[in-house]
Amino acid sequence: MNEILTQLSDCIEFGKINMASPYPPQMKGQEGADELTAKALAEGINPQDVLTLGLMPGMERIGLKFRENKVFVPQVLMSAKAMSTAMLHLKPHFLSGAAKQKGTFIIGTVLGDLHDIGKNLVSMMVEGSGYKVIDLGTDVGSDKFIAALKDHPGAVVGLSALLTTTMVNMQAITKEIKDAMPGTLITIGGAPVNEDFCNKIGADSYSADPQGVVEFLNRKLAS
Amino acid sequence: MVKEFAFGFKELVIDHKLMAGVMGYENGQLPPPFDEYMETALQEAATLNDIRASYLLIDNSRIDKGRKVLYARENEFNIGNAVCNELNGAERFAFYVCTAGKTISDKSVSMLKGEDPVLGYVYDILGSAIAEAAGDKMQLFLKNEVGKAGEKTTNRYSPGYCQWSVGDQHKLFSLFGEAPCGVSLTQSALMQPVKSISGVIGIGKNVEFREYQCSLCFSENCVYRRIRGI
Ligand code: B12
Repeated sequence: MNEILTQLSDCIEFGKINMASPYPPQMKGQEGADELTAKALAEGINPQDVLTLGLMPGMERIGLKFRENKVFVPQVLMSAKAMSTAMLHLKPHFLSGAAKQKGTFIIGTVLGDLHDIGKNLVSMMVEGSGYKVIDLGTDVGSDKFIAALKDHPGAVVGLSALLTTTMVNMQAITKEIKDAMPGTLITIGGAPVNEDFCNKIGADSYSADPQGVVEFLNRKLAS
Repeated sequence: MVKEFAFGFKELVIDHKLMAGVMGYENGQLPPPFDEYMETALQEAATLNDIRASYLLIDNSRIDKGRKVLYARENEFNIGNAVCNELNGAERFAFYVCTAGKTISDKSVSMLKGEDPVLGYVYDILGSAIAEAAGDKMQLFLKNEVGKAGEKTTNRYSPGYCQWSVGDQHKLFSLFGEAPCGVSLTQSALMQPVKSISGVIGIGKNVEFREYQCSLCFSENCVYRRIRGI
């Protein structure tokens, strides 16, 4: 495989943003995701390959390491930052259709809840895995989810909640979304949520970590 | 009787090892560059002036051990079995609310969304540690106060932990009347600013202070449980 793409994967996995960034120490002074993405595109590498073969494998590796407790939130945020820097170069290619994302994921923290770190991690990881992410923020009711679904038909919805009092709102939101937009897939997560609750409220998937969402999306949207 | 405190950041004992542990670094050491991020956040935190704590002593309160209920004024708190056991022997209770304040809560959210998510996350962790440290300081003050008359205090226990429903926050806040420490409660029982804690401490001649035990709680995947190696 192309050397630049391999280097790019490493930059995402290890959170190397650009040349100036001193992190990670072992890559100090080297080119980062910023320079290498620009270089890859300038060399004529297909934008789709930059995303699929360069950036995404790096994101997958960091997601798996996070699941296995080999890396922690700060490192994942560094990787996410490297990823978003690279994505800026790819944006025009998404718009022109030269590169395609695998599908759309709409995420929000449910009505009444303001917690967003967990949700942000999920959205960064999903974006880095090749999906378009619409992040509706916190305190989101079914009307906003439904409006976003109308703009992005076929998107999968992610609901996050950190309190048992707001977790119950997932039930009504799930029902209202499914009534308004039958067939919509809904995945849920957050500290108090579990598989049983997911089954009880009729959502389609529960995951304890962002990688689980990516795997669910890959099964449902990308296969 | 409500007692309110305004704490300066420097007066608080922040558990740096715990913060590193919560961030994943179980040896208590943040590797570069995260140690520098933390340094930046700590320096900024030194200027915070909205860290508050407040407690309300209620004398005519009691626990019904059979029903696992704590009665305080006209409220019934369904505290559940574990908290009931921990408060055993208490003759009166202090309800409390503590906050790291709006400044750090807002700063964390805006950084996380925008310019520097890593710094935003570090502020988030520090904000939680400040809320807990304000709780520690308030608790120490209370312990010394009631200690003068030979009374002892239990550890502090919060709605939302063990079997105590987070919905009981509404009753707790109604005891205070006005928003204690400027903290308000949303309909869904969420405190604002986000970096706030609430709960109850048992007081009496025969109560015991027990360190918080993860085994009381049902959260299997909790970071604190992992750090404590339980
Ligand atoms: C740090 C913390 C605090 C801090 C800061 C809180 C804050 N909001 O910033 C402080 C000390 C202030 C605090 C206070 C309280 N807390 Co608190 N807190 C925590 C703790 C330990 C960690 C939360 C966290 O930041 N996790 C880190 C992030 C990255 O993880 P995460 O959000 O869970 O997200 C991950 C997954 O859940 C998943 N995920 C998240 N969203 C989604 C979405 C989808 C679609 C999917 C698939 C996956 C997914 O992926 C993420 C990455 O891995 C949790 C326990 C725990 N271990 O989770 C309790 C916890 C959230 N708190 C709890 C409670 C009860 C409270 C209080 C009500 C206690 C009180 N009375 O004082 C208050 C409420 C505060 C308020 N504003 O109202 C309960 C909530 C459960 C409940 N009963 O409702 C918890 C779960 C602890 C418990 N009892 O088990 N808390």
